[in-house]
Amino acid sequence: MGPTILIVDDHPSFRASARVVLESDGFSVIGEAADGASALTECCRLRPQVVLLDVQLPDIDGFDVCEQITSYLEHPTVIMTSSRDPADFGPLVTTSGACGFVPKAELSGERVQELLSP
Amino acid sequence: MSGLRRALGLVAIEGVVVGLVALAIILSSDHVEARALQGVLAVFIGWSWIGAGLLAWWRRPDNRFGVLMTAVGFAFFLGTLNAANARWLFTVGVLVSSVYFAVFVHMLVAYPDGRITSGRLRRVVGVGYVIAILGPLPSLLFATPERLDCDDCPESVIFIRDSGTLYTIFDVLTSLIAVVLVGYVVFVMLARFRDAPQTRRRAMAPVVWSGAGLLIVLAGSLLSMAVGGPSSISDATMLLGLALFALVPYGFVFGILRSRVLQAGAVTEFLHRIGDGPDPSDLRDLLSTALGDRSLQVVYWLDRPGKWVDAAGHPAVLPPDDDPARAVTRVDREGRAVGALIHDRSLTDDPELVGSVAAAAGLSIENERLQAQLRARVEELRASRARIVAAGTAERRRLERNLHDGAQQRLVALSLTLRVAQARLHEDPDAAEAMIAGAQEELTLALAELRELARGIHPAVLSDRGLEPALAALAGRSPVPVEVARTPEERLPPAVEAAAYFVVAEALTNVVKYAGASQARISISRSNGHAVVEVTDDGIGGADPTRGSGLRGLADRVSALDGMLELRSPEGAGTVLRASIPV
Repeated sequence: MGPTILIVDDHPSFRASARVVLESDGFSVIGEAADGASALTECCRLRPQVVLLDVQLPDIDGFDVCEQITSYLEHPTVIMTSSRDPADFGPLVTTSGACGFVPKAELSGERVQELLSP
Repeated sequence: MSGLRRALGLVAIEGVVVGLVALAIILSSDHVEARALQGVLAVFIGWSWIGAGLLAWWRRPDNRFGVLMTAVGFAFFLGTLNAANARWLFTVGVLVSSVYFAVFVHMLVAYPDGRITSGRLRRVVGVGYVIAILGPLPSLLFATPERLDCDDCPESVIFIRDSGTLYTIFDVLTSLIAVVLVGYVVFVMLARFRDAPQTRRRAMAPVVWSGAGLLIVLAGSLLSMAVGGPSSISDATMLLGLALFALVPYGFVFGILRSRVLQAGAVTEFLHRIGDGPDPSDLRDLLSTALGDRSLQVVYWLDRPGKWVDAAGHPAVLPPDDDPARAVTRVDREGRAVGALIHDRSLTDDPELVGSVAAAAGLSIENERLQAQLRARVEELRASRARIVAAGTAERRRLERNLHDGAQQRLVALSLTLRVAQARLHEDPDAAEAMIAGAQEELTLALAELRELARGIHPAVLSDRGLEPALAALAGRSPVPVEVARTPEERLPPAVEAAAYFVVAEALTNVVKYAGASQARISISRSNGHAVVEVTDDGIGGADPTRGSGLRGLADRVSALDGMLELRSPEGAGTVLRASIPV
């Protein structure tokens, strides 16, 4: 079984597609969250190894969620995702404590795996 | 006015008759010395007061000051009854001989409005009347004519017994009360004079100074009598007092004349200086100087949108009619309001002055009004430009958001699905086929969203085919039945067509959201060089024009084309949104 992963995104269609893609590439999707607040609670409850985190969430900004998650003592690896271009966010991805960024349209198990094993 | 004039004429005739009667009483008196001189002096004083009082009464019928002055004259004649030879007439005459002085104090306290608003001052005046009656009483009750150095005087009808002690005690007591009272009134008058604005002081000065002088002389005379000073002093002060008393009405007439002369001077000076074409702050200063009111404000009336503004074009508020401190004098030109002066309420005592200055300033105020109108318009344009920019930014944000949340998300999902389907094409063709079918549906939805979004930015059919098909399409998509009653046959300029289209689109959105209407009607016609867009519904009415940013944005859009947007929405009687745009 591959690494456990939590998908955080407010668009159900993306969560469904991401689940299919990641599961077919060997990941174990153990949960989904639609906003920042539930992302934090699900993260504590499920203790995933990886969090796939959308930048734009309806309540808390994705980068702030990332900072909170990575401030925990034993925290999962966070991978930011968005349908926008990563260049739009400047240095925010690295400063927020995320391990990397995957554009939504290019999401695959392979890309996530690459970021996890530097 | 003729009724007032007739009444004042009657009072004047009564004054003449009463004066002649008083003269006859004094001339036939057997206990008055220098009868001819005394008689002439008495008539002169009484008539002076009545005459000046009538003048004041006529000039300011609403001000009771004139009535009080006239009353002083009549009360003075009443006092001459003490020259009568008959015992009971003499007694009454002595009793009321000082009443004129109480009326005089009443008048001074009531100056310049003729009304006493403070309860304490009203009590002071009341005590004045009581003291005026009580003052001579001891001489009637406890003194023989000999004790009063008037051997020829008739004996009082209420004489009890001759008592030097009782007479002195009562006399000193009433005199002291009178002195305190008079001192207090002088204090009140001077304090009031000090607090009055410049213009009011000019008119007040003669009355205040002669009144205060007279009161001080009277107080000195009473004090000298009370402490039993030599009779030469009290006689001299009494004579001085009488002379001053005769002068007060002339002081008042002088005050009126002087204020007229000053007023004419102020208006002339004002006219002279205003010819130099003042700028707005100069106009205010000139008016302020001419009226002697430093707090003066000038405001201007704008017909469209019907509001008061200051010289800078900022909205201004007029004080209410019952404001105790400020009053408003409107300035009209050719029957139209052009502006108003907001000034100290005391200036309403002299409406002719304010009126003539306002009339003289009419042309300048009209010019300033046009300037203020221009500034208000610039202010409005600046605000609407800022709103248009803000609305543009908000609109771009909304578009980005819609693209991101809508079509873009669907395309992302589509891309992922296709990738998985491709990977499974060989090992699990059935699953791959189902995925491709799902992707097809997703693509249809994404296209629909893109179409909707593009139409919101600018409907292509409007630019390609004109208003009629564009409005028909809007009507066709509306859940409420819409009739397109009228559209212009020829094309309008693109900006006008777009504004008209968005007015209709916003109106229909509101009809669906709020109006509870069963149908709506669109009409666009050309009239008087304007395109007139009207959207009518049969809904509940009562729409609030300030609700939401939609209408505000439309109003800005329409006014950017020099047009006007109006909303008529009476409760329960449907709504009409009407835009009229110059073509």
